[in-house]
This record gives sequence, C-alpha cells and structure tokens, in this order.
Amino acid sequence: MKLKFMLKYYFRVAVVLFSISSLAQNEKNNEKPTDSVAPKTIRYGVRFGIDAFKIARSLYDKNYKGIELIGDYRLTKNYYVAAELGNDTKTVDEDQINFTTKGSFIKAGFDYNTYENWLDMENMVYIGLRYGVATFSQTINSYKVYDPGSYFGQSAAIPSGEKYDKLSAQWAEFVVGIKAKVINNLYAGFNFRVNKLFVNKKPDGFDNLYIPGYNRTYSGDFGVGFNYSVSYFLPLYKSISKSKAESKTIKK
Amino acid sequence: MKLLLKFDIEIDIEIDIEKFMKKIVLIFLFAFSFSACEKDDICDPTTTATTPKMVVEFYEKDSPTVLKNVTNLVLDTENVNDSIKLASGTKVLVPLKITDDTVTYKFIQNGGTKTLTDDNTDIITVNYTRINTYVSRACGYKTTFELKTTTGIVLTDNNPIDNLWIQQTSIKTAKINNETEIHVKILF
Repeated sequence: MKLKFMLKYYFRVAVVLFSISSLAQNEKNNEKPTDSVAPKTIRYGVRFGIDAFKIARSLYDKNYKGIELIGDYRLTKNYYVAAELGNDTKTVDEDQINFTTKGSFIKAGFDYNTYENWLDMENMVYIGLRYGVATFSQTINSYKVYDPGSYFGQSAAIPSGEKYDKLSAQWAEFVVGIKAKVINNLYAGFNFRVNKLFVNKKPDGFDNLYIPGYNRTYSGDFGVGFNYSVSYFLPLYKSISKSKAESKTIKK
Repeated sequence: MKLLLKFDIEIDIEIDIEKFMKKIVLIFLFAFSFSACEKDDICDPTTTATTPKMVVEFYEKDSPTVLKNVTNLVLDTENVNDSIKLASGTKVLVPLKITDDTVTYKFIQNGGTKTLTDDNTDIITVNYTRINTYVSRACGYKTTFELKTTTGIVLTDNNPIDNLWIQQTSIKTAKINNETEIHVKILF
C-alpha cells in the first residue's frame, strides 16, 4: 500500500516540477510562487459490503452460521454514518453447558476518520460508536449439574432442548479500525470492538450467555468483537477542498 | 534533488502510521481499563451456591434441643468406595444423588474405630424430589432437593440384634437449597 502512495506522489512531483518550470518561463508572474499542494477532491457516497469473517467462519466452524451486511454514508470530510445488520446462529459448548443462540441484530452509529489522506486517497483509520439492538432465542442442548466433591462420581450431560424465546439486548460499541481502497471502489478493512451492555432481557432460569452481534457476554457487562469487511463504494457526488497550505499562501 | 524528495516523503508516512497505531493502542487501553474483567469460566463453589448436601445434626435423645457429639461415625452407601467419616462433631453433610430420587446410607456408630465388635449399623433411606436450576456459565446447573413429607427419612436396622442406636429422626427443613440450614435432626 505504501508503494502505491509513493507512486502517486512521484506523479504529482513530476507535475509540480513541470508547472514550476513553466512559471519560470513566464517572467510576469514570479512574485507569488505557488505552493506545491493542489486542491483535494473528496468523493461522497454510500459504501456497502459484508463481514467476510462471518462468512468464512460459517464455512469452517460447524457451530457457527452468520452473515452481516455493513454500510456507511459519508456525511462530511471525516464523519461517516455507519450501520451493520446481521444474523447469528451460534452453538456454544462449555464444560458445563451446551446451548444455541439464534437471532438478528442491527447496529447504527458513526465513524470518524482520523487519517489525513494524501491527495485523492480514501483510506481510513477510524474510531466510531454504535448502538446495537438484538432479538434472539436460546436453546439449551445439554447441561451438567455441578456437584462439589461429586461423591457419586461425575454426572453425565443431561439433554435438555428447552428454548427461551423473545429475548433482547441493547448495547453500545466502541470501534477502532482501518479501511483501505484495494482497487477502484472496492475497500477492505478490519475493526475491533469493545461493547458495553445496557439492556439485557434475560430469560427466567437462564442467562444470555451469547448475544447475536454482541458476542459472548462477560460478567462485567462488557464484550468484544471483530469484523473483517469487504465493501464497495458507490460515489454520489464530489467536492473540491483547497488544502491548508495553499490557503495560507493566498492570505499572505 | 528528486531523490531527496522521495526520501522525505517515505519518512513522513511512516511517522503518520506510527502515530495512529499509538492512538489506537491508547484508545484500547482506555476502553479496557473501564471494563471490569472478571474471571467467569471457572466454577468456584465456595462463592457460588451449587448443589447442596443434606445437613444432619445430632441431638440428645432425652432433651431434643441439646446438641450431642457423635464420635467415629461412618456413612456408607452402595457402589461408592469412599466413606463419609465424622471423627467427632454434631453435624454431618450427606450427599444426595443428583440422578436418583432416593439414596440409602448405612449410619455406622463407632465405624471409625478399629474394633468391629462395637459397630452398630442403622440404615437411613432418604426420599426426595429434585429440581435442576441454572447457576452460571462455569458452574452449569445445580440440583436442589425437597424431602418427601412422610417418607423423607426412613430408619431401619441393619441387624435387629444390636438394636437401633438412632432413637428418632425428624425433618427440620424439607427444602434443601443450601448448607447453612439444618435439614434433618437425629436423636440418639
């Protein structure tokens, strides 16, 4: 990727050198030397894609099936409205319990690009916030009774099949990630998420041990997540912003 | 001249990326510092209530409110090699079966001594109902019990010649949810 940035720059350097040489030829206008930074073109539009990690995991992990659609819309130079929509079916096999969580989730929020792009590059190193909502069901496949001392020997797993419906949860996510343009309008990126659970409608006689979109729950109401996104940018309009260096030159 | 320019640019990009990585690491440290990361994948029965044992307390036969010390008591049950031994005390914790609604124990008085001639074995059959309830991810489920009203504790003698050493049994708390309450009283 770095190589690509550099190549672009060389191209630019060549252009600048050419323009300077043409200025030198023009004797009338050598009072204000033009700065070597040209205006940037910012493209606005919608980007939509998928979480490739969830798809890959659905193929290799027999205990997981899921899909997540992602999308964002560029509001300003650095702010993007972002959302994710998805579906998870996950079977968790713990020592003492085996259960399946199934449900859908939606997350909405924004991303803030902290990366100062060169020229017309459109890469992102971003932080973001989301608010997530999920509705799901949990089915207990089997469980074991914890019997301290186990005088009568370890108990075998007891098959259950009990299903808890109409469960829901709401949480906030803090996102850190990168997105890079691979070719044309195709982007790839990954992000890490730290989640904080706010609303958790638990069933009577069980707990929400896994929440679609939120992932595994921990006792401190916090969770973590990971996404590997592949997305396509659909440009809608462009704006041209003059660079700071140039505007300073003009002020002088 | 051109070469020098190229060099400058490369350094600029590297510094930028480093700065952003530092930012990200800082942000993550900040986020994690607020999360109370508790260990929840190991079951600790000392802090979490799991399957309780039946608590039996021994009392004076002539004055049923006075605790009586029992010595060298041994509890045996079928198909278990291990015995429950009480060298001296007024209370014994009796495990109940989580896979069955009944369990039978031999209560052997003086079973803990080397001499066999002083042993006196009485048989107590415990009948109950069971409920399995969810505890936590690490502990899974627990079984709680409720002693049956009339047949909860059935006392019989192993060998009628030596007579019963236990005079009377009574259910104090039928619901066995924890080990802090006394569930059964034995008078001897």
